[in-house]
Amino acid sequence: MTHGWGIASVGAVTPAGVGIPALVAALEDAAWHPQLGFEGNDAPDLAVARPAGFAAKHHIPPLVARRLDRAAGLLAVAAREAMAPLGSPPPWPGERVGVCAATWNAGTEALVEVLKAVFLAGPEEAPPAQFPSTVANAPASQLAILEKLGGPNLTFFEKQVGGLRALTEAGRLLAHRRADAVLACGVDEAQWLNAESYQRLGVLRRPGRPGMILAEGAATLVVTASPPSAPLARLLGGGSAGTPTPTHTYPSTAEALLAACRRALARAGMAAGEVELYTSMANGIPALAALESALVEQLFPAAPPAAVAISDRIGEGAFGSSLRAAVAALTLAGQVRPAWPLPTHLAERGFRLPESRPATALVAGVSGGGSAVALVLAAP
Amino acid sequence: MGEAWVTGVGLVTALGSNRETTWHRLTAGESGVGPLTLFDTRGFRTRIAAQVDDAALALPPLAPSQQRSASRASRFALAAAAEALADAGLAGSPLVREAALVLSGGAAGLYEAEDYVRRRLLHGPRIRALREFLEVPQDAPTDRVAEVLGLAGPRLTVTTACSSSTISVGLAAEMVREGEVTVAVAGGSDALCRLTYAGFNSLRATDPEPCKPFDRRRRGLNIGEGAAILVIEDATHARQRGVRPYAVIRGLGMTNDAFHMTQPEPTGAAWERTIRAALADAAVTAEAIDYVNAHGTATEQNDSAECAAYRRVFGERLAAIPVSSVKGALGHCLCAAGAIEAAVTVLAVARGVVPPTVGFGEADPDCPIDPVPGSGRPTAVRCALSCSFAFGGNSAAMVVGAVA
Repeated sequence: MTHGWGIASVGAVTPAGVGIPALVAALEDAAWHPQLGFEGNDAPDLAVARPAGFAAKHHIPPLVARRLDRAAGLLAVAAREAMAPLGSPPPWPGERVGVCAATWNAGTEALVEVLKAVFLAGPEEAPPAQFPSTVANAPASQLAILEKLGGPNLTFFEKQVGGLRALTEAGRLLAHRRADAVLACGVDEAQWLNAESYQRLGVLRRPGRPGMILAEGAATLVVTASPPSAPLARLLGGGSAGTPTPTHTYPSTAEALLAACRRALARAGMAAGEVELYTSMANGIPALAALESALVEQLFPAAPPAAVAISDRIGEGAFGSSLRAAVAALTLAGQVRPAWPLPTHLAERGFRLPESRPATALVAGVSGGGSAVALVLAAP
Repeated sequence: MGEAWVTGVGLVTALGSNRETTWHRLTAGESGVGPLTLFDTRGFRTRIAAQVDDAALALPPLAPSQQRSASRASRFALAAAAEALADAGLAGSPLVREAALVLSGGAAGLYEAEDYVRRRLLHGPRIRALREFLEVPQDAPTDRVAEVLGLAGPRLTVTTACSSSTISVGLAAEMVREGEVTVAVAGGSDALCRLTYAGFNSLRATDPEPCKPFDRRRRGLNIGEGAAILVIEDATHARQRGVRPYAVIRGLGMTNDAFHMTQPEPTGAAWERTIRAALADAAVTAEAIDYVNAHGTATEQNDSAECAAYRRVFGERLAAIPVSSVKGALGHCLCAAGAIEAAVTVLAVARGVVPPTVGFGEADPDCPIDPVPGSGRPTAVRCALSCSFAFGGNSAAMVVGAVA
């Protein structure tokens, strides 16, 4: 449930680097590609895109950074960037600022380390310092501790669409006046065993075979009813639906996606024909491209709007869907003109990159397992 | 805004694989805590847990591939969801297709995946049986319930550690009240695994013996597992169907104490804020509360901070309010705990019996409450509070009322 909440500011740590300027520079460079793989690890050839050389201690005080695991560090840095334009202190009391986070895999590094100790050294060797980081809500909770944010603190686990869910639920918190501002975030960490397992499932990109790139990073959008200055964009409506599907499988039809988009558009009071920017969910997996093709054929049967696609290049994840919403907001604000070529299935259907500043945007996605979420954004 | 009625309840716990067995044994003062047999406990500080009898689950029909790959956590969720829908008279109803599904995350399929991880760590990448890894994502049980029971409405998985499923139930009620959906299926499921067992051991937060919430001698918690699913329905719709509701979900409070990842804020001020937020959301005062279903983990810090919060909210009246923890009977079911406790609270409101704090024996001056020792106590409950306080400071409180 959303009612035109302002997206006041954004922050991100992405495979393009730390901060929105690094992301914008990459988006406007048609030739940019992430460096893939792990550094100095026993599984270096996996299709994983990470912020090269990232360490939280380079961006926040080292004594604070050292108590954060990698995912919490990524989120803390992205959130600080998003909060910086709001002033210090922010215009809302800490108890009135909530966090709606999403993650696909936060905690997996700590989880593997604890299990490694249990299996290789014995149960009593489980490291107590790492156990709290195994919970998926650790990054959002660490953020609350770091920034003294006492509002509702929710983490959603919905694989690829988690970042969009975090935004719809941020709107719900605002609608119920549970918070004056909400940091809607996505955060993912790359962990070799987890990534290797997705490779074994056959969904990661390999030479000569299409697939997705798992992304590591964090994105934060500050959503509020009372932005201190002109917001980047407004969140007009959200919708969701599901298709009963096994957990790692995309649905066989676009029915839920279409329902989610129509609900979001209805809540925004808009028709599909009024969408000026479509933010693609394409991630390199052919089954998702087929679903998206079916969706856009039904949603935009006449003239397709401009489109932007980032997940097929910068990587997929709960963080990936937050980043798609952030890029949509930046595009609506005229702060970026993405130049990355559109995926073939969209280009063939007449979609093109935005040539001017769009006024409205649709951001949709579907997870393995069939949960679909859509958002409608508008220029302020 | 509509009203969110609870019209179906499903429970899977260490005391029983269904609602009535759990309720009967719980109110009789029995404990489901016993020797843990699911995996080898040699080397652990404690060797007991509240383990579910997996073989006794009443599962909905599963395809062979689902039978092979559904984790314990998914099976618990499926059994509880099937029981709740049948209880609400909605099993097989077309209404279910449009229902929202809001469950908690948790260990999900980690118990099964731990064998995969162990073999991978010991033997390298040339191992088989990736199937064990498939239900690791925390939304896997949610997806499994949707897949098996055919739910095609909005689907959320909340993961805020031990308050996850209180929030799931509360958000689902909100979706019903707002008219976003007519019916919501909400709750949580969690299963025992080596990670959480070893983790709480490493924090020295477990009691090697059956736990004693609010007791002066308390030494820590016992890990448990299970599931609870509630069917939450728009009151107008339920009336039209002629359904007799258990209770109404009246309000939800959620805050973060921004204090510490594992330690509670000791003065109770942070949790007071959570409870007051729930009371405000429900538009009731503290004087309206007749029963509190406490988080009551039986750790030294939790129980004293929790009672401090209750003192702040209820003042002198606290001693007269029954405040019980079901964790002595059912263990701490982590991400399923909030839903299990919400379900128990709903049953307490509907049946006029408050459950006991199993394991309580000696009063603690730091916990000046009436913990309902022994067995269930007949009590007229018009309005109750169910509280959950979690790792990372994520707190939730829910107000459950009798249907007028």
